[in-house]
Amino acid sequence: MQDALPAFVLDSEAPRTAMNDSLANPQTSNEAPSPSHEHPSDEHLMLAFSQGSAEAFSVLFSRYKQPLFGFFRRRLTDPAQAEELTQETFLVLLRSASRYQPRALFRTYLYAVGFKILRAQRRKTIFRATFIGVRHTSQDPATHDSPDANLAIREALAKLESTEREILLLREFEQLSYSEIADLLHLPVNTVRSRLFRARVALRNILLGSAPNPVAATLTESEGQV
Amino acid sequence: MSTAAHPVAPEELMAFLDGELPTAQAHSVSDHLKQCADCSNLAAQLGETQNRLASWKVELLPAHAEAAIRQSAEQHGSHLKNFLPRWILETRSGFGWKPLLALSLVTIAALILTSHAGQSPRLAHYAASHTISEVGGVAGYPGAIGGSGQPITDQQSRALSKQVVTLNSPGIAADSNGLLHGLGDHTTNSSVIDAMIARTASLSIMVKDFAASRLSLDSILVRHHGHTAQLNASTSENAQRSITASLRVPANELTATLAELKSLGHVETESQSGEEVTQQHADLVARLKNSRETEQRLQAILLQRTGKIADVLAVEQEIARVRGEIEQMEAEQNSLEHRVNFATIELQISEEYKAQLNNSSPSASTRIHNSLVAGYKGAAETLLGFVLFFAESGPTLLIWLVIILIPALLLVRRFRRAAAAF
Repeated sequence: MQDALPAFVLDSEAPRTAMNDSLANPQTSNEAPSPSHEHPSDEHLMLAFSQGSAEAFSVLFSRYKQPLFGFFRRRLTDPAQAEELTQETFLVLLRSASRYQPRALFRTYLYAVGFKILRAQRRKTIFRATFIGVRHTSQDPATHDSPDANLAIREALAKLESTEREILLLREFEQLSYSEIADLLHLPVNTVRSRLFRARVALRNILLGSAPNPVAATLTESEGQV
Repeated sequence: MSTAAHPVAPEELMAFLDGELPTAQAHSVSDHLKQCADCSNLAAQLGETQNRLASWKVELLPAHAEAAIRQSAEQHGSHLKNFLPRWILETRSGFGWKPLLALSLVTIAALILTSHAGQSPRLAHYAASHTISEVGGVAGYPGAIGGSGQPITDQQSRALSKQVVTLNSPGIAADSNGLLHGLGDHTTNSSVIDAMIARTASLSIMVKDFAASRLSLDSILVRHHGHTAQLNASTSENAQRSITASLRVPANELTATLAELKSLGHVETESQSGEEVTQQHADLVARLKNSRETEQRLQAILLQRTGKIADVLAVEQEIARVRGEIEQMEAEQNSLEHRVNFATIELQISEEYKAQLNNSSPSASTRIHNSLVAGYKGAAETLLGFVLFFAESGPTLLIWLVIILIPALLLVRRFRRAAAAF
């Protein structure tokens, strides 16, 4: 999978063209981005930051502030909480910069940190709701995800099984590869692939509102082979 | 669309669309996609879903949050990087705890060592002073320690021997019963006796010939005018034989008796102690004297004075009470003097046992039978124990279970509800 056709876009908020491109011409997506002086890689920037370069952090922050905020915002209904966790993730990045070693892609590292913080936050919220009776500050999603489409997608995603939902979100919005998702969630790559397919089919059915799709039938047949 | 008809599985098609297939495989899937209407349809459906998801836009990170992160980065760069050493930075991030832990452990160890070093001389002095007070009259005993914590010199030892052990002095002689006169003669010889010591020794000996040692023990006791206060002998077959005895020997014969007992075999443990009872004895003598005088006065009153019958009876009752006290004190005095006159030796003689091979053990079938019976009994007892336990504690346990279970179930329900929210 490592020599796969790269369809990654660092900024998840950027327009999505990878799938359409690969449909049109698979050769075009076979060119890996190479670090240059004008556009140094994330890993180079992080190494420079760990050696004290404030500019390097500034560039990294510019690249990832919005994707990371989107990561939390899509998983939490409260925007203030998403802001808070975004800040916390960057603070962890600052504190652990001296120990950074480029063993994996920087964004995998960043999302792994974000994922840990998110899980800790969820544990805290569940604990409070269970033992103290404090409800998490879930505001009306409609007031924040103003377009109706956003609300419908959020509700549809909420109906998915939690791991499948997470795989789908990591793939669609964080643009992580199958192997990166597998590393992050501690799952085999084949499992990630099959569950991603299942999640996409289920989401389509939910969004259509919906009668069983022919694709779902094929899923049952092919699932055992993956 | 079945996998039999299609060489490309739906997940494979999805992986191709995601750019997750190797180049060669991607080419073959691409070729198939151009020819297969079902796969094109599936690709279109997946693309449609993906486009729906892509329409979910998130608002921009607020400026105040961005400013706060940038400020934190500046603070981190200016303060922590420049002024704090690297290991402190690592500590803040959670992985530099090892140096701190090592430092804490070293500090704790140093504190413990320092406190122990400070206490050692005091403890040694305390132990030494208690040893000498407990040992008391063991003057001349090898390894005796003085009150200052220093070993007793020969000169001090001799002085203590002279002061403490006066049973060997010429003024004290044993009668035919082994009783030493001079010690109990408190009215006349109290000034002669400096101290009264009740001596006790403990000896554990390992012998090769058990029967011979048993006979030797009797002869030693006869030779030194001693007697056996208590004796327990264990002489079972195929086991180590032993004797545990409490011997009483005249105090002046103690050293010689111990020497002979030691010659029976190998001495494993030995200890001696002495309890000074001089003060106790003097008090007893004084009280006895007073009581006797009181008794004499009461008898004189009874003989010389006349009065009512009630008064006479009261005097007689008082005489009886005083008489009882006198007898009790005399018995106590005799016991005390006997303890002083006769030293106690707690003796244990054990045989050097050699196991012997014999065929007296029961047969295998008997042992299996016995084991089965024992196992059955054990199982029945265990089962009965369970039944009895639940019969006795079951209702209480049930009440507690209800008390604990209901809140636990409520908590689990709330936990599941809260977890479902995510």
